[in-house]
Amino acid sequence: MDIYKCEVLCIGGGGGGVTAAITAAKCGADVILVSKEPLGYGDTRISMGLMSCPGIVKEDGVNVFLQDLLKSGEEINDKKLARIMAEKASDAVGVMENFGHLFNRDKKGIISSEVTYFSGGHSQPRTIECPPGGGIAIGNSLRAAAARSDIRVYEEVAVTKLLCNNGRVAGAVCYNIITGEISLICAKTTIIATGGAGWLYYPHTDCAAGVTGDGYALAYEVEAELIDMEQVQFIPFGLTYPPSMVGIYVGEPSLAAPAGVLRNNKGEVILEDVCKMNRAEVSKAMALEIKRGGGTENGGLLLDLTPNLSLEEGKRLWKARKNRGQLDIVRFAYGNKAFNWEEPWDVLPTAHYFMGGIKVDVFGRSNIPGLYATGQAMGGIHGANRLGSVSLAELFVFGVIAGDAAAKESKDVELPDLIPGSKEAVAELAQLRGQKGHHTPIQLHRRLQKVMWEKVGIAREEKEMRQALTDIEEIKIASESINIPTQTSYNQEVLHAIELRHMIVSAKLVTEAAVIRQETRGAHLRLDFPEKDDINWKKNIVLFKEKGELKIRVEAVNG
Amino acid sequence: MEQEVSIEILRYDPQKDKEPNWQKYYIPVVKKNTVLGALQYIYENIDATLAFRYGCRFNRCGLCAVEINGRPRMACNTYLKDGMRVSPLTKLPLIKDLVIERNNIFNYLANHELYLSQNDETKSLIIKESEQGARLRSCMECLACLSACPQFFYGDQNFAGPYIFVKLAQLYFDPRNTNDRRKQAYLLGITRCQSCQTRCYCPNGIRIYEDAILSLA
Repeated sequence: MDIYKCEVLCIGGGGGGVTAAITAAKCGADVILVSKEPLGYGDTRISMGLMSCPGIVKEDGVNVFLQDLLKSGEEINDKKLARIMAEKASDAVGVMENFGHLFNRDKKGIISSEVTYFSGGHSQPRTIECPPGGGIAIGNSLRAAAARSDIRVYEEVAVTKLLCNNGRVAGAVCYNIITGEISLICAKTTIIATGGAGWLYYPHTDCAAGVTGDGYALAYEVEAELIDMEQVQFIPFGLTYPPSMVGIYVGEPSLAAPAGVLRNNKGEVILEDVCKMNRAEVSKAMALEIKRGGGTENGGLLLDLTPNLSLEEGKRLWKARKNRGQLDIVRFAYGNKAFNWEEPWDVLPTAHYFMGGIKVDVFGRSNIPGLYATGQAMGGIHGANRLGSVSLAELFVFGVIAGDAAAKESKDVELPDLIPGSKEAVAELAQLRGQKGHHTPIQLHRRLQKVMWEKVGIAREEKEMRQALTDIEEIKIASESINIPTQTSYNQEVLHAIELRHMIVSAKLVTEAAVIRQETRGAHLRLDFPEKDDINWKKNIVLFKEKGELKIRVEAVNG
Repeated sequence: MEQEVSIEILRYDPQKDKEPNWQKYYIPVVKKNTVLGALQYIYENIDATLAFRYGCRFNRCGLCAVEINGRPRMACNTYLKDGMRVSPLTKLPLIKDLVIERNNIFNYLANHELYLSQNDETKSLIIKESEQGARLRSCMECLACLSACPQFFYGDQNFAGPYIFVKLAQLYFDPRNTNDRRKQAYLLGITRCQSCQTRCYCPNGIRIYEDAILSLA
């Protein structure tokens, strides 16, 4: 078995992980980055490439943006983190362009108000874009910048467990998906940048296949605290068929253009002015109608954009979206009439982003010494709802902060010669291959995902969620009897078994937090508590492991 | 009886197979099903040892590039048709079934300096990017172009292949670039493209020959 040593270990090959790794290396640290996919092929790449850049129009500024973040987050944002987000968001452009990326500019070559537009929920135009590739171009830049930097990159390597020494995170057990080799990385500091857990809701997610909540589980198992895990953003418009494309993103409320409406299976209009509402509001209205039995045969509702064709602005928006390639997927899945907005088409909310995550301070530090988090893996910035185009900026703002802080801390830390528990952890991972049991890992993935979608999805109630907790426990027991062939190279079932463990932990964290929050706030919709309850619940839910048990603390909002 | 379509997949497990062999599977008919849908169906219901990559499920990540009926395609945006034959991208080392080596590609980027030289002052720069440059930025890095290129052979020091030429052209068109990318392209064998009769192929519609090769050669 190979043992690697470094000062800063970054887990995750998207915008957050690459930024943190490059920043730490620039600060002089010896850095290893491990990525479960080839570097830069995850959620950052598949994003639309839209980014918040406040301050372009003169009415906009740090405080205006901060107020938008807090309003959208329904006042449970970590205010210190939200302020940093607002203050530094405009720096993110520089970080990304330094990596090689380029945002759209006006004819003079400047990022000006001409190339900046309104994104849903923002009070000022501050979203910039980078067509035609969108996030794909960002993925290209991440790879180029990582190649330029003095970091060691290990691709297609999954982390199965973090190891502690005297209460401090000191290393990680890794599995190489290509070769089947197990390795140990000893690190003075570790940054989790594994993204969210959208895959808990597969197929109802637009996230990449590797987004299985690994970071949440890794952090939880070493007793780090997580915050507001119930806040899962469902973006309103995902596809409902064909099977391999269910859940894929087609748009947010602004897609509806001025005249777009939502209809139920009887053709009745259930929502007007869709384009003026935020993601949570539209997803909620859709979930309620579907619960009432208004869903189509594919389980969705009908997005009727036809009224736009009789409006100049509507026609202009159709053309703009068509030219941007945003509607290609609609044509592929639903055909030409849908593509041309000449007939209504099926849509269903899809899991997009986790506002919750690992609880960190303003340096990206968790409560466990040596452990940091950044990007979607960290929680608190967005409170109960995230505004569109903020998450890309978040990666580059907080990636720099965590990378810088971890590199500095590493200078004062000694690596232990031997991390306690490492032999046992490696042996346990080695036993996975060749296990004989009753289930394949992928079957249990699907069982868990069905439970999460049906019982802890968009519209929630206590009875169903209690049942979900029982179901999750049963799946956990079943996961102890899995069948995995012995092959070493690209044994997908080993990877899926590792992911299954992380998903079970993440699913439990989401569900426990969702049961506790007895109110409706932001993305968290409780059918049994339909009102917002500021007196009892303008608070954060903190989850952590203590003596092997999941514990929950409800606390006042930070800042 | 439920209707089915058949699909053949070139299977290879380096630990037990001497060479790749075709295997046939039957998939229930589903409207507008994709090749990726079929691969997922096989993995989940028929044979969980099937190895393939995918990420985004529609045309953004580039991970599910395979050959379908002998042509490089994305499995996610190819409708499934009866009798299709699916095999891994050629020209790159085969790991298992439809999974080819991708990790060494990252080392290419470092070895050939396929990045902008460090400059911390880009934020306020006035930058005018050409349309060609912008178009090339949508390269999904799926590596299908290497599979389709008759000149490219893995490990050939004298010819880097279309993926690298697209990278070089991205940089060539970048107003911030300070290296001689045409010279690099020359040293990496781009002249071979001038006499080549086969059209470069990109599943995402990048005009590799027009926008990249002709600009650099």
